[in-house]
Amino acid sequence: MSWTFDEWFVVALARTVRDREVVFHGFASPCAQVAMHVAKRTHAPGSMLVEGATYALDPTPVFVPPTSNDLALHRDAVYRMRFEEFFDAACRGDVDRMFLSGGQIDGHGNTNVTAIGGMPQPKVKLGGGGGGCNISATIGTLTVWTTRHRSGRTLVPRLDFLTDIGHRTPEGDRAALGYPGGGPEWLVTELGVFDFDGGHARLRALFPDVTLAEVEAATGFDLRVEMGGPAEGVVAPPTDAELAALRAVDPLGVRRAEFDDAELKREFS
Amino acid sequence: MTRFHLGADKRATLDEAAALVTDGATVALGGGLCSRLPMALVRALIRAGRRDLHLVGSAHSIDVDLLVAVGAVKVCEESYVGFEQDLGLAPAFRRAARAGTLEVRESCCVTVLTQLRAAEMGVPFLPVRGVKGTDVERLHPEYGRVRCPFTGDELVVVPPLVPDVALIHAPLGDAAGNLHLDQPYVLDERFAHASRAVVATVDELVPTSAVAAAGVTIPGHLVAAVVEAPYGAHPSSCYPGYAYDRPHLAGWVAAASAGGDELAAYLDRYVGRGEDAYRAAVDVDRITSWSDSDEAWMEVFT
Repeated sequence: MSWTFDEWFVVALARTVRDREVVFHGFASPCAQVAMHVAKRTHAPGSMLVEGATYALDPTPVFVPPTSNDLALHRDAVYRMRFEEFFDAACRGDVDRMFLSGGQIDGHGNTNVTAIGGMPQPKVKLGGGGGGCNISATIGTLTVWTTRHRSGRTLVPRLDFLTDIGHRTPEGDRAALGYPGGGPEWLVTELGVFDFDGGHARLRALFPDVTLAEVEAATGFDLRVEMGGPAEGVVAPPTDAELAALRAVDPLGVRRAEFDDAELKREFS
Repeated sequence: MTRFHLGADKRATLDEAAALVTDGATVALGGGLCSRLPMALVRALIRAGRRDLHLVGSAHSIDVDLLVAVGAVKVCEESYVGFEQDLGLAPAFRRAARAGTLEVRESCCVTVLTQLRAAEMGVPFLPVRGVKGTDVERLHPEYGRVRCPFTGDELVVVPPLVPDVALIHAPLGDAAGNLHLDQPYVLDERFAHASRAVVATVDELVPTSAVAAAGVTIPGHLVAAVVEAPYGAHPSSCYPGYAYDRPHLAGWVAAASAGGDELAAYLDRYVGRGEDAYRAAVDVDRITSWSDSDEAWMEVFT
């Protein structure tokens, strides 16, 4: 079996989902969107998948379209939550996991999806945060991801604008802010996988074609490293079942839109 | 005196409907992302030369970007404006934000929902669970903080949001303004109840019995005017009628990115010549072929 990096990345995201979790992705998140279906079809069949922007429960789309409020994502869903119903559930703590990305991410897992250069006059106005600035406070836990770690501009010591809440803001930690959610559990990048220790990102594993020196060069926040565990610091390769599930649900390859061309050329076997 | 819109016949032309939106109005845009956007009304507002609009809502795309591109918007309070990973950032929105010609008061879907609920309930504020400690809070001096008398928690509180008008596109409606929507409704029900008036377009104006049979999502007493505008959400989707027109949206993103003559050519071709000419230019086969087969549906997105 051979696979491309975009496939491996999505599988790495999928593995952060636990069985019997209620899991959600926002819009503009094709990697997370595909990953949730991979998880549901492999190791997490008992999870409840809330298809972002349509709020359809456990649909089985025959393809993932590139726009996330689309009828194709309702396929075989018996029920669709209302907008209010989903966000109420997320605010009161009945959603266990959300996938969240950002143009900038700091070491506490806070994200900026609003503006590079800050507000009110941004250098680059990003799309915006959707519902994140409330539900990042209350959802059980978060899987944060980026496909732009290598740029050196994404994992930063300080955000230009804090849109979504990680483990600590300048005003205090989650306990001080009164936030019931658990905050980020994982940070998955195109270079490796971080967990959070004491509320700060910690590198646990690299993809095998990446060196620690590359991660050091690309990471703006204080890089903490604790390699080891069963995978001995290397992200475990995808299984045949995971690749089959991924290829079945994403024939259009919408996941690839998140990557620079150079990353798409990374191939493995 | 009630704010409800009584009467059995709210039928109007697109120009009459657009005239109900005044310069400086707070406007809620229905639908979301690239689905069921009130595009025929957006185009009519541009033709009418509206200025200083204050847009509110959740996640939007070409509706906001078009209005920003022609300088019709003073304040944008949407939670997201863009074309997701497919076509990327919204070019006119991004440019105006950078230049400072657009005031971006970015909001959050939950906060907007909460503010609409406060308006619906007639209460002066409601709390939200998050926002505290984020920079979004700093963009909104109208928010406050309150200590809960029961738990002692300090929460961000937000005032009611009462749009002057909600622009909503529906697949079906009747002369009284009863509207049937298919899910997801996004914020449209909340907009309808919180706003002073709904101005609606429908792909098809049908007898009341037909809307009742399909199910009334938004009742006529909330609606001030209804206009029959086939393909009125195009180039966004309005299932089951039509899917996302990806080539058209890509054409907008290219024209808006280039600005100048290319932007002017788009506006002339698709806005300036009126809605009949617009409809004549729609590739109907492409956007209606989705229901033929899964393969045909996938083809719509390539």
